[in-house]
Amino acid sequence: MNRESAATDQALALTLKIGAYSSFVSILAGMIFGFILPFGNKIIEIGFLILLATPGLRIVVAGIQFLREQEFKYVAISAGVLAVIVTAYVLGIRA
Amino acid sequence: MTDGGLLLLGVIGFVVGVVGALTGIGGGVVLVPLVALYYGLPMHEAVGVSLVSVIATSTATSALYVEQRITDIRLGMTLELATTLGAFLAALLAHHIDRRTLALMFACFLSYSAFSMTGKAWRSRKREEEEPLTGYTIRNYPLGMAASLLAGGFSGLLGIGGGPIKVPVMHHFMKVPLRVATATSNFMIGVTAATSALVYWGHGDIKTSVAAPLVAGVFSGSLLAARIKHRVHTFYILILLIAITGWFAAQMFYKVATGGFR
Repeated sequence: MNRESAATDQALALTLKIGAYSSFVSILAGMIFGFILPFGNKIIEIGFLILLATPGLRIVVAGIQFLREQEFKYVAISAGVLAVIVTAYVLGIRA
Repeated sequence: MTDGGLLLLGVIGFVVGVVGALTGIGGGVVLVPLVALYYGLPMHEAVGVSLVSVIATSTATSALYVEQRITDIRLGMTLELATTLGAFLAALLAHHIDRRTLALMFACFLSYSAFSMTGKAWRSRKREEEEPLTGYTIRNYPLGMAASLLAGGFSGLLGIGGGPIKVPVMHHFMKVPLRVATATSNFMIGVTAATSALVYWGHGDIKTSVAAPLVAGVFSGSLLAARIKHRVHTFYILILLIAITGWFAAQMFYKVATGGFR
């Protein structure tokens, strides 16, 4: 393995960590403040949106990293996975 | 919802998070029967909240495996092409399957999981021989893609991660080291579950009032478990898990046979 792919691993680990912690914190905060604030449910929903969006964001970050390392096969694969997710999202909100 | 219900869901989530992160089993296989049998959620809603919890476990734990460079991200992303497609199609299909059929399929999968975990428990008894984590050549891509499509389909239909399908195929047929296969499967689960969760979310099958305490519990459980993982002997947890999934399978079969899950 080369040094570039270490950078890809670090970027992905960071994306996953930020996604996990920020959605955890907002779901928890929404539940706690839900008792005293009227917009508690909104904070919870934001937490869920972060959680659902993190895997998609992870694909985007990976795609950008592969592009920087000129691994075009994996750029195409990332784009393909993202296309399936976006289709699911578009059809999901319509259904 | 009552505060008691909130607390119960939080505790269920915590236990599922701990067990899932310790054993490498996504947790959906335990969570769906728990909330469907004892919390009384309709099957589709049980699957919906389970998908969200599975994303939480995968995201929290795969960050660590990716950082330690155990995960094969290139292999993972290639197979994700198949898992996301399977998950998406299955999630669309799930809406046209009635609750009893879904419960019956879940009970069958539970039985298979109990069986597959028995093999895993047997292997964990022995001291793990040090397997090199790099320098392997991946074989049988077509079979891996087919297994991933199937695993994605089961994930979207039943709210599970699909590890028991992917890991054995990756290890035995694609010749990927077991730890790499487990970490890579875990890495793929987040994207796979998110794809079908988006469809369930659109159908209104993910109730945030139920999912929030569950996911908060799952997160805290899996973050704690990731820290104590190397100090715990997974053999006993696996034995416990086999007993639990076997019991759940029996209960679900019984409930389907006596006309439940309507």
